[in-house]
Amino acid sequence: MRVVHYLNQFQAGIGGEDAADAPPQLHDEPVGTGRLLARLLGDEHEVVASISCGDDHAASNPGLMKEVLEMARETGAEMIVAGPAFGSGRYGLACGRLLAAAATEDVPAVAGMHPDNPGVDEAGAGVVVAAGASTRDMKESMGRLAAAAVKLAAGETVGPDDGRVGRIPRLTVTADKRGATRAVDLALARLAGDRDATEIPGALFDVVTPAGAVEDLSAVTVALVTEGALVPAGNPDHLEAARATRWLPYPLDGVAALPAGDYESVHGGFSPSAANDDPHRILPLDVARELEEEGRIGGLHHEYLVTAGNGTAVPNARRFGVEWAARLHGSGVQAAILTAT
Amino acid sequence: MTADHDDTPGSAAPTSSLLVHAVDEVVLGEETAFDAGRLTVGVDQAREALADPALAAVRVHAANPGDRVRIVKLLDVVEPRTKGPGKPGMFPGFLGAPQPDRPRETHVLRGAAVMAAGALPRNQEGVVDMTGPAAEVSPYAATRNVVVEFDRADEASWEDVDAALRRGLLRLAVHLADAAADAEPDEVEEWPAPAAPGTSDLPRVGVVTNLQTQGSFKDVYVYGRSFSTSLPTLIDPFEVDDGAIVGGQFGHPGLRNSTYMHCNHPVVADLRRRHGQNLSFAGLVICPEPVDQHAKEHISAHAARLCAAAGFDAAVVTKEGGGNADADASLKMDRLEDAGIAAVGVFAEFAGPDGTGPPLVFPPRRATAMVSTGNYDLRLDLPAMERAFGGDRVDIADADATDEMTLPVATVHGALNLLGWGRLTSTQETEEAA
Repeated sequence: MRVVHYLNQFQAGIGGEDAADAPPQLHDEPVGTGRLLARLLGDEHEVVASISCGDDHAASNPGLMKEVLEMARETGAEMIVAGPAFGSGRYGLACGRLLAAAATEDVPAVAGMHPDNPGVDEAGAGVVVAAGASTRDMKESMGRLAAAAVKLAAGETVGPDDGRVGRIPRLTVTADKRGATRAVDLALARLAGDRDATEIPGALFDVVTPAGAVEDLSAVTVALVTEGALVPAGNPDHLEAARATRWLPYPLDGVAALPAGDYESVHGGFSPSAANDDPHRILPLDVARELEEEGRIGGLHHEYLVTAGNGTAVPNARRFGVEWAARLHGSGVQAAILTAT
Repeated sequence: MTADHDDTPGSAAPTSSLLVHAVDEVVLGEETAFDAGRLTVGVDQAREALADPALAAVRVHAANPGDRVRIVKLLDVVEPRTKGPGKPGMFPGFLGAPQPDRPRETHVLRGAAVMAAGALPRNQEGVVDMTGPAAEVSPYAATRNVVVEFDRADEASWEDVDAALRRGLLRLAVHLADAAADAEPDEVEEWPAPAAPGTSDLPRVGVVTNLQTQGSFKDVYVYGRSFSTSLPTLIDPFEVDDGAIVGGQFGHPGLRNSTYMHCNHPVVADLRRRHGQNLSFAGLVICPEPVDQHAKEHISAHAARLCAAAGFDAAVVTKEGGGNADADASLKMDRLEDAGIAAVGVFAEFAGPDGTGPPLVFPPRRATAMVSTGNYDLRLDLPAMERAFGGDRVDIADADATDEMTLPVATVHGALNLLGWGRLTSTQETEEAA
């Protein structure tokens, strides 16, 4: 296979922090640590190019990796190998985003990074194998990365035994027996003493640490946000009733109240009649305006954010949370009331 | 298959006898008739079964497997069944008294289904394709379907339309099955009642089935009444064969349990088949799925006590609907395990389009055994069709109803069936399929 190697400015030998702003650069042969990769991949695979980029430049331009992927494809790349990024967050983000970009184009790709590197999350369903914490672990880490690349090139699955880390995608497949029969089989297995058998392994959830308490509400701007799908009547922007993939902002500037008939809930998961009779039961603007009037809150934010929380995929919900936090934080909001349904 | 449990320790005489008539084709005609697997639907008779002041008009269509037909805005699906012409007992509480004297024999038109399709509030959109990739995963693409479209009468409320369609579909289902009452059945299934505790040394396995009872257009009826305010109860599967549970829950299409599916409850069917072999069928418990957390906890605790009193050693727990219903199943699984009853949950997963998200909204804390019926967000590419019934548009795909479209599998009716009808499952990319 024709392999393109992505690496940062350090590993490419371009420079240190002084070169962290270096833009993506195509080298028509393996450079720096890419030469080690080329050796480890053996004769069957050829590193046809290296692409280097400065860590700061890569980490601060989220869309950059699409361009890097395009550069790689222009060299006829059949596979991307990125890193190892070790514990470097900026380098890891770049590698993770490159994997995510490659996944959308169905280009096989693999990266190496430390399991705690934030880039692991960026990779989505991409294949990440463990690397050590620092370049001292180069030999072993590059060895694992090259071995995973060889497996991937052969069309084989890279799993935990190969050092795979991060989220391993769950695939929907067809079983031999129908669900009811499998459930009864599982019940009998449990009764026979098997406590480990399951088709859904222990679900892991993010643990969210709440922000500290607001000391003086009368000094801060408060936002109202909701997953109750309350939108202007007629749903002009077509918010989904279920499995939402997006959220919407609507202005509250100069809006004193939410009269019945002007707003509606398009949430598909509950009967919206009470909400439609009094939209404040989803978005408590009435009470919020009173608190603002009384000076108990410093002010009400000039818009509300809304989505439909009904069968929403957790990755989307997580993204909404990040985007809402960024938007509110950027507007100087220091507290938000999230009404859930 | 005829089940014979006469030699089984502790088994009682059969309480349920299904006279099965196999249907190969549904056609429209002047007079309802059944002849050698061919079901002719008398169009005027079908309209009469559906006649109601809330419905200005109804239109009846036939859709057979392999037809290039897409059914959209599907509501409930019912299997044609009858006790015989003029005899009460099917769909008790809706068509007559909840507990009439009735024969234990039930005529079943297996392979046929009647269904309503059209706009109704809170009906989350979905499709049944009679051919193509969606047909492979929907139970309602394998049946010969009588599809009823309808127009609301001007003065009628949507609640009245919903009620009229429900009663009308049940009447139509009985009317069609009546046509086969004099025919020789293709097979006779005899099923015993669940065994009483202490009658067998085999492990006692039962099933706990949650019914999504969450208000208008999202409700399930037992003996003709909403089950929303009831406590969990044991119910003889014979009653379920006769249609004591009727679906009116129009949430996620892939995750609904229709009247058809309740009458053919896949876990009950499996437990009946294995009864006396490697397990003893301990019983069926049905539970409401309330919206409030305290009520969910109360219903779960009560269900576990009921299973313990009925001597369950293990229970399969089924749910209906999306995210919040995970809690109803998970809380019950934990309560059952606390009571020393092995619990197995049946769930669909929310792992997102790339399959990397956490699969459940509310997983059990102590119980661990779960069956997956597949991931909501698996995308299916559906081909264009020649005809559509139930509407002209599929709004979620922003497409005409006959267009080609890409949809998540959660919008294909019955595809992720939580009573365990289907064979879809999810597995870690790095593992072999189950």
